[in-house]
Amino acid sequence: MAQKSQPKLLFVDDEEELVSAVVERLEIRGIEGVGVTSGDEALQLLQREHFDVVLLDVKMPGVNGLDVLRTITRAYPDTKVILMTGHGSAEDIELGLRLGAAACLQKPVDLETLLEAARSAASGGEAADGEG
Amino acid sequence: MAKGEAERPTAREGVLYFGRVAAGLSHELSNVLNIINELAGLQRDIAAAAVEGGGDARFARFSDLAQRIKTQVSRGEAINRGLHRFAHSVDNADTSFDLGELLGLLAFLEERPARLARVALDVHPPEHGLALCGDPFSLLLALHACVGAALRACAEDGRVEVHAEAAGGAARIRVTATGSLPAEGADAVSAAAFRAGAAAWGAAVCLDPGTDAQRSLVLSVPAAAAAREAAGTADPSLEVP
Repeated sequence: MAQKSQPKLLFVDDEEELVSAVVERLEIRGIEGVGVTSGDEALQLLQREHFDVVLLDVKMPGVNGLDVLRTITRAYPDTKVILMTGHGSAEDIELGLRLGAAACLQKPVDLETLLEAARSAASGGEAADGEG
Repeated sequence: MAKGEAERPTAREGVLYFGRVAAGLSHELSNVLNIINELAGLQRDIAAAAVEGGGDARFARFSDLAQRIKTQVSRGEAINRGLHRFAHSVDNADTSFDLGELLGLLAFLEERPARLARVALDVHPPEHGLALCGDPFSLLLALHACVGAALRACAEDGRVEVHAEAAGGAARIRVTATGSLPAEGADAVSAAAFRAGAAAWGAAVCLDPGTDAQRSLVLSVPAAAAAREAAGTADPSLEVP
């Protein structure tokens, strides 16, 4: 059963294996989470369902993470976004924070670190960037 | 001009292509490592739940294995980060960069050759930040030539040290090998280092003969705009300071 204090999460990454593993690990922890593998799917889902925090990969084919972030901050201001970037993406981090991301974490991101950032973002914590 | 010669790619174009592709593949590799890391985490979670639920105590081994996988993933990711930095070292042939950071990359790149040669390699950056202006890749290539020579000169269990310091508007980089760096070999090394990249810097490559037990190659690299003016005019002949 999901713990009420835990935010409802949407995990977005184009790597299906990664999404599947993360969602299963969230389930084991009793955290409500959904995974999708594209920016398009994420935006379609957000039209139907509310999520407290979106965990969003930046570089994806098609609609990339920064475009999804722009839409979320405009259309779903109550939903917080945490960006996940690859190494050497200082520009992505800077742009992401300017566009309104609650935090930017560098991959590989430890799940506990990600969950801590999600809880902080959901409760209105300050933006952070750094190593996952 | 011979037929087809105009269409042949330049060395610079080749290097840029190599760097771009290597950087892209490094990014893909990072994704794979991330997935393995997450699957190892899932394995650990399932094993922990099984043990807590009164399952076979051997499940605890899965947790241990998962941690060992994560350790290798961290190792792989560190190597991949270095590869990524190396791939991007060719991006700009005329740029400002920190010598300390470049030497950090050199240490990463030469770690494996040093380990295989069973030689200890210590790289000491300048005490304070030292900005250079030019082609970082060509300087890296020149340093690689010097470190390579030093590693070959060292006996097993020897030591190679790289020290960098600011020296009056220039950077002086000393590569020291314990073990004899034969004087007759130093000419070839300094010429090779010059051709490899020091020429692009107008750098001088010298041999400090030191003692039989310890010889050094010294690169004196102009720090800033002077590097561009001096390029192509420096005398590559061997000098003994």
